Amino acid sequence: MMNLEDLEKQVIRMEDIQEIENLQRRYGYYFDTRNFQAIVDMFSDSADSADLESFGLFRGKEGIRRLYLDDIGRGGRPRYPSESWISTVIFQIGGVVNLDPSGVAARGRWQTWLAETFLYGGVPRQYWVHGYYENEYVKERGKWFFKKLFWNVTFFTMFETGWLTQPLVGLLPMANPDGPPTAFYPYPSGYQFPYHYNHPITGE
Amino acid sequence: MNLEELEKSVNLMEDIQEIENLQRIYAYYFDLQMWEDIIDLFSDDAESVEIVDHGLFLGKEGVKKMYWGWIGKGIRSANQPWIQFIITQIGGVVDISPDGKTAWGRWQTWLCEAKPFGAFPKQEWLHGYYENKYVKENGKWLFSKLHWNNTFCSPFEDGWLKTPLMGLMNYHPTVKPDAPPTAFYPYPSGYHLPYHYNHPITEK
Repeated sequence: MMNLEDLEKQVIRMEDIQEIENLQRRYGYYFDTRNFQAIVDMFSDSADSADLESFGLFRGKEGIRRLYLDDIGRGGRPRYPSESWISTVIFQIGGVVNLDPSGVAARGRWQTWLAETFLYGGVPRQYWVHGYYENEYVKERGKWFFKKLFWNVTFFTMFETGWLTQPLVGLLPMANPDGPPTAFYPYPSGYQFPYHYNHPITGE
Repeated sequence: MNLEELEKSVNLMEDIQEIENLQRIYAYYFDLQMWEDIIDLFSDDAESVEIVDHGLFLGKEGVKKMYWGWIGKGIRSANQPWIQFIITQIGGVVDISPDGKTAWGRWQTWLCEAKPFGAFPKQEWLHGYYENKYVKENGKWLFSKLHWNNTFCSPFEDGWLKTPLMGLMNYHPTVKPDAPPTAFYPYPSGYHLPYHYNHPITEK
């Protein structure tokens, strides 16, 4: 039988996973509601980077502020006279979260399904987007934060055409990245986005 | 609770967590077309696997026939990068048997695929439900039975109302199932895949 100390460790581990799952899902809800300051506050002050879609690589907490507040959030300035029709709906699906033995670091793989609406090439359009995350989390002062967020897009297609006909509507470069995207190889490249875990049975 | 009861509760939660990861990792291997890694997620004493209308495959031998022979075409990795499987694992309801050695799980899936159908590359929407069985061996959870019941497999351009089923997929020149599919009744048959659980409140 386990002693109290072992049990406590296991319970803390499960609570950690639960908290990380909530962090990831809340990120999705904050994105949907365009609350970019809330997103920035979910990153550790010593965060590594954020690398999304074809936006480019943004380093450190300073880069993360630039990405979400200045570039995606446009410094709070509206993009168009009326913004209510612009929508982002991000599903956070299939989280596989693994804790480092230290208990203060973790990694998670997720996938996303998106239904979006925004202006592209001067025309309002509706899109289907799919991608996978491989993210890193860190526990500081008893709370979990993003340390690294990496969202690898599989396709970004129009509602009407689909991924086979039009895997990529176009690139979405941001104004001020620190570098190019590290692995933007959309469908049909056959790119195999690496996963952080070993096989649960064979351990390989 | 005393220490023993507490340990049981903790183990139960860990078991559910591990099974959820197993199910989600299955899908990530499927997306990456890593058939051998999928086969290794099944117990050597696996009961069966059944997917769409391919038929019922019995035992671990059947599991190998299904994933390696039929779906994987006996090829280690995809030689046609445009062939795409994206399988989302949504809404897991996992119940562990009182002895802690077996478990059942219901899930649903939303898929966006691209694959050859007849002579043509096609993009498809698919939906389905799983009713799966898991077994704990040497401290690890494995699939003992996998049943994926397909609701529709519709061309992207048409949708499920217009074309619920692109066509049958029940023929393979060399790989033969042990029995016909046990419950392939796609939309709009009105068929409901039975669930493994009782009502959480009334227990009926």
